Amino acid sequence: MGTLTLDAISRRYATTVAVERVDLDVAQGEFVALLGPSGCGKTTTLRMVAGFVPPSSGRILIAGRDVTKAPPHGRDTGMVFQSYALFPHMTVGENVAFGLEMRKVARAERDARVREALRLARLEGLADRLPRQLSGGQQQRVALARALVVNPAVFLLDEPLSNLDAKLRAEVRIEIRALQQRLGLTTLFVTHDQEEALTMADRLVVMERGRVRQIGTAEALYERPADAFVAGFIGRCNLLRGTPEAPGRFRTPGGALLPCLPQQAHHGQVLALRPERIAVATAGDGLAARLVAVTYLGAQTEYHLDLAGTRLLAIAPTPAEGDPRRALAPGDAVLALWDPAEARLLPAEPGDLPDDAT
Amino acid sequence: MRLTRRSTFAVALTAGLPGFASAQQSGQVVVGTWGGDYGDLLASNIDKPILAPKGVEVVQDVGPQDPRKTKLIAERASRRGSMDVCCLSDVDMFTLAQQGVFEPIEEGRIPNLARAIPSLKRPYSAPHIYSAKVILYNPAKVTAAPQSYADLWDPKYRGRVGLVDILHLQNMEAASLAAGGTEHDYEPGKRKLMELRSLDAKVYPSNEALAAALKSEEVWLTIMWLARGFMWKKSGIPVEHAVPSEGATSICFEMSVPKNARNRTGAMAYLDAALDARAQTAFADRMGYAPTVTDAQLPPELARQISLTQEQQAKLRTPDYEYIAKNQVALIDFWNKEFKR
Amino acid sequence: MAALLLPATLLVLGLLVAPMAMLFRISLNRYDAAQMMQEALTAENYLRALADPYYREVMATTLGVALSSTLLALLIGFPAAYWLARMESRWKSLATILTLFPLLVGNVVRAAGWMALLGRDGAINAALIGTGLIAEPLPMLYTTGAVIAGILAVVAPYMILTLAAVIEAIPRSVEEAAANLGAGPLTSFRRVVLPLALPGVAAGCVLVFILCMNAYATPVLLGGPQFKMMAPAVYDQFVRGTNWPFGAALAFLLLIVTLVLTILGSTILAGRSRSR
Repeated sequence: MGTLTLDAISRRYATTVAVERVDLDVAQGEFVALLGPSGCGKTTTLRMVAGFVPPSSGRILIAGRDVTKAPPHGRDTGMVFQSYALFPHMTVGENVAFGLEMRKVARAERDARVREALRLARLEGLADRLPRQLSGGQQQRVALARALVVNPAVFLLDEPLSNLDAKLRAEVRIEIRALQQRLGLTTLFVTHDQEEALTMADRLVVMERGRVRQIGTAEALYERPADAFVAGFIGRCNLLRGTPEAPGRFRTPGGALLPCLPQQAHHGQVLALRPERIAVATAGDGLAARLVAVTYLGAQTEYHLDLAGTRLLAIAPTPAEGDPRRALAPGDAVLALWDPAEARLLPAEPGDLPDDAT
Repeated sequence: MRLTRRSTFAVALTAGLPGFASAQQSGQVVVGTWGGDYGDLLASNIDKPILAPKGVEVVQDVGPQDPRKTKLIAERASRRGSMDVCCLSDVDMFTLAQQGVFEPIEEGRIPNLARAIPSLKRPYSAPHIYSAKVILYNPAKVTAAPQSYADLWDPKYRGRVGLVDILHLQNMEAASLAAGGTEHDYEPGKRKLMELRSLDAKVYPSNEALAAALKSEEVWLTIMWLARGFMWKKSGIPVEHAVPSEGATSICFEMSVPKNARNRTGAMAYLDAALDARAQTAFADRMGYAPTVTDAQLPPELARQISLTQEQQAKLRTPDYEYIAKNQVALIDFWNKEFKR
Repeated sequence: MAALLLPATLLVLGLLVAPMAMLFRISLNRYDAAQMMQEALTAENYLRALADPYYREVMATTLGVALSSTLLALLIGFPAAYWLARMESRWKSLATILTLFPLLVGNVVRAAGWMALLGRDGAINAALIGTGLIAEPLPMLYTTGAVIAGILAVVAPYMILTLAAVIEAIPRSVEEAAANLGAGPLTSFRRVVLPLALPGVAAGCVLVFILCMNAYATPVLLGGPQFKMMAPAVYDQFVRGTNWPFGAALAFLLLIVTLVLTILGSTILAGRSRSR
């Protein structure tokens, strides 16, 4: 086991930049997820760590050793491929033993370790099967066992759950996390599924168009997003255009003045406000808004508000029976209220806001 | 006329089915022949000027000799063959005539045959063009012109004699004559050829390969048809010819009418046209083959290069077709298994 | 369904089986100089061919040339096929067409090219003499080497394209997995790529071996008259010697030897790939 350091690695092609100066330190035993939309460079980054793609510049260190120039077979990483990439002509046992054979582990020890890995992956009794005789979930566990049995310095997972059905995915997620924690594996995990990343990873790296937008824990990313892209990518968020007027005041194009966290104006031009942090009331304090739509979702209810021309989404636990808010209907006048500390000014790049695309 | 798809199809259909369209009615004659110069000359000197005005339409079935031979054999049993006229060299013509595939020649229907050189006439074919087997040598390397086939065995020409594989029968005959034998028995030639083999004679797979070897002066001497030697000389290959004192052997390209020809009348007319004096001279000029009819006049200079003197003519030998036909398989076996090894 | 298959089945029977049956029948006839052949039911043609050391040697030459050409085609073809299969760019289709290019030229034309290259006055000798490396031209044309080179040029595209199709179906990630687990390129090739490509190796070898066994134009033109392989020997019997029964017997012996070796070879290869 060891640490992983990416030191300003980039990967450029003739006309495009796949990865641009990514810095990352993964601590011993830490689980880091690379998260982002497709084409963001997360897979290329992982493949650079594995050695399949040579970086155009920058350095990669595994357990303190510079492996930037090392071939894939000289890196001591254990990778689980999206397609599992099992050797179709070898049995489950031979697949798992392959890495140990390459490391010239003696026969007896090899057999013992293969047995242990198969036990950990709950594959006892399947050692003599061929991969094509296994279910998708079993194949996935063979791929895990094959990568883990060699005790790699770094454990690499390339969207390993994307070929499983939803129910299985939830189970395997927990299984992998448990295994990773028990074995103390330094892990880099690529996914485009934020829920997967949030539930499994110690830290997340949000990437977009080859660059790292933010690195942090799930909570840090959710509560303190660095920019409008991260805010919009992690969870749901109202991202409002307008102009910061005075510290703690943000004016929408429709003229409404919204309270926000007092920040320097240069922090950005987009106000980010999580929908569940907005309270909707029929009386009391708050900004006057009109209800556009109400969506009842059982435990929660979504309120689509119009605040002087600005659309705002609020989500609240469905009020109890008898609460006047249960009777709210489109067209009703309501009051929207939030703690100014929940409304943050964020920088935004072109394309960061969902409606930029249109 | 604009052909509809259906009529085109009908034409294709009738053309492909033997016996469906009668060649007799359309006056069509199918000639199985070589392509290249020979086929072109047939078309421009026989088909167009002589036969077309008579309403005979000639269709050439062009291909090498061996497949044509095989086709004749294969079609032997069928009532209607695919050729009306078949062109072959003399040896093959005899072999096939023995199988009874050809119609007897009726002199009455081929008036020009009366003027053909008598020694070239056969009961089953009409002689079209002919040449003689001679020695070709490189005058720069072989200073004293060879007199006889036997001169090729001179040790000073070790490794400089080249033979062509396809003329295996002709080479064996020449060897027999060199050994003092006759064209009626090649046995003496076998031993003689083995001698030549120990003198590092080279064997080439095709006339073209031999021509290239003569041109590059890899070999200096060969046994070849005079006509081909004439053509090679014209194309700049350094060769002269010598008529062997043992006597040159004739090669004749002949035309026959298969028994199952669909248009026998047209075919006989074709044979007659082929013996037309004007048509014959064209082949002499372009291919170096001598006319087979006595009334064809060649320019004296051309005649000197492609025909034999009176004296040489008198010693002209005709291959013993019967001997060849009977021993063909054994002779090829010797050539392949003993000589070429 | 069966009714729909019937015309095709009849066509295959007519075009494939009938001529073979006829050839077999002819091979049992007796040769006769005057009649060409006599109806008979005799094995003498086969016995003669088997007893004659000349034809045993021709068969040995044929097998030697076919086996070495197949092996060389495999050795040359595998890297080329791998490269082609793993090519990603838009050049891939161009490279595939270039691989096929030799097949667009007829065997005879191609052989003529080799003759121009290997002959006494050919390009190679001219270059060697021109640079003063040799004084006398090297004999290259009309050698076994020339035949093998000529045959290789014909069969290599078949081998490459057959192998490339199979290699292409091996996911790249499987090779990456091997590398990731510590296998160097050679180990990865030996343990992963080759076993998975084995069906392609078998198919390519069988295809190429059959083509080599039946080569005609190349041995005739590049081997010269002294060089004999089975196909030209069969041709000689049919066309030059007009000994159809013996020619047919030779053709059947060639067919049987080819068939037996093909079945044997592919069984061994198939066995290997299953036992892995």
